[in-house]
Parts: sequence; C-alpha cells; structure tokens
Amino acid sequence: MSSFVIAAIAMLVALVPAGVVIVRGTLADAVVGFEFLTSVAVLVFALLAEGFKRPSLFEFPVLLAVLLLGSGLVFVRALEGWL
Amino acid sequence: MTREIITDVLLALAVLTVAAAALGVAVMPDAAARLHYVTPAAVVAPVLVLLAVFVTEGLDENTGEILLAVLIMIATAPFLSHATIRAIRASDTARGRNTVRDKERP
Repeated sequence: MSSFVIAAIAMLVALVPAGVVIVRGTLADAVVGFEFLTSVAVLVFALLAEGFKRPSLFEFPVLLAVLLLGSGLVFVRALEGWL
Repeated sequence: MTREIITDVLLALAVLTVAAAALGVAVMPDAAARLHYVTPAAVVAPVLVLLAVFVTEGLDENTGEILLAVLIMIATAPFLSHATIRAIRASDTARGRNTVRDKERP
C-alpha cells in the first residue's frame, strides 16, 4: 500500500468529526461541515488516483473542485432563510 | 529514496493539516468560528498534496490535472466562505441572534 493510499485513508478518518458536526449540529454548522467534507473529498480522490496509478481517475478531483463551488453556493442560497 | 522521503513528509503534513482543521471544525462553538477551519483544508492541504504528486511523478498530465483542481479550489474557496458567512450573518441579524464573538464584545 503506497503512502498516497495511507494518506487518503487518514484523511477519510479525519472526516468523522465533520460528519458528527453535520449530523448533530445546527443547519449552519452542517453547511460548514459539508464544505469541509467536499474540500477533503477532492484531496482523497486525487490521493487515491495517484496511489492506485489510475490516470483516468485524476479527472474526478477536477470535477469535484468545480462542483464544490457550485454546490456550496446553491446550498448557501437555498438554505439562507433557514440558517 | 530521497523523493520518497520528501513525498511522505509532504503527505504527512497534508494529513496533519486536514486533521487539525477537522478538530477545529468539531470543537468550535458556532458556524462562523467553524468556517475558519475549512480554509486550511481547502487551500493549504491541496498545495501539499500537489507538491507530493509533483515530487513523485514530475511534470506530466496527472500533475497538471491536480494543479488545475488545486487552482480551482484556491480561487473559489474565498468566494464560498464569504457567501457562507454572509448568509449566516444575515440570518443571525434577522433573527436577533449574536455570534460568540459578539457576545464577548463589551
């Protein structure tokens, strides 16, 4: 197992506190947790693509990085009245 | 051998950054304070991962794609944070709620 895969697993474990915030916190806390989670997911995809030597999978982090802004703004705008 | 050590150090720093940011997101008292800890995971850690891939692979199409993803994240993270804190602040003001910092203010 390469160090990239180990780093990806470690980052996935680091997502647990954010998951707890999403589940147990207020709606505003959950939005922040979601933004944190998607940011780390971009890294996890990049690390797994490099760790397993799959060049085609390097497109996932690029796509997710673009969607991170779009989904975040949509969430914030849609939930603004309820935050 | 040297490349592997540098890669491992960079990856360890990236994981530590994300772990510290996750801890900050978990323990901070309100959403406005938690939001500060999204930035290290969205800006610092991606640069470290990019450098680790660059040290391992050199300059090739994979590194270019990760560079693109990192540039997008660095460029968009401030906008997203600003929109989020603006929405939280507007909501707090409309409902007469104060953030923790406001409560600490004399």
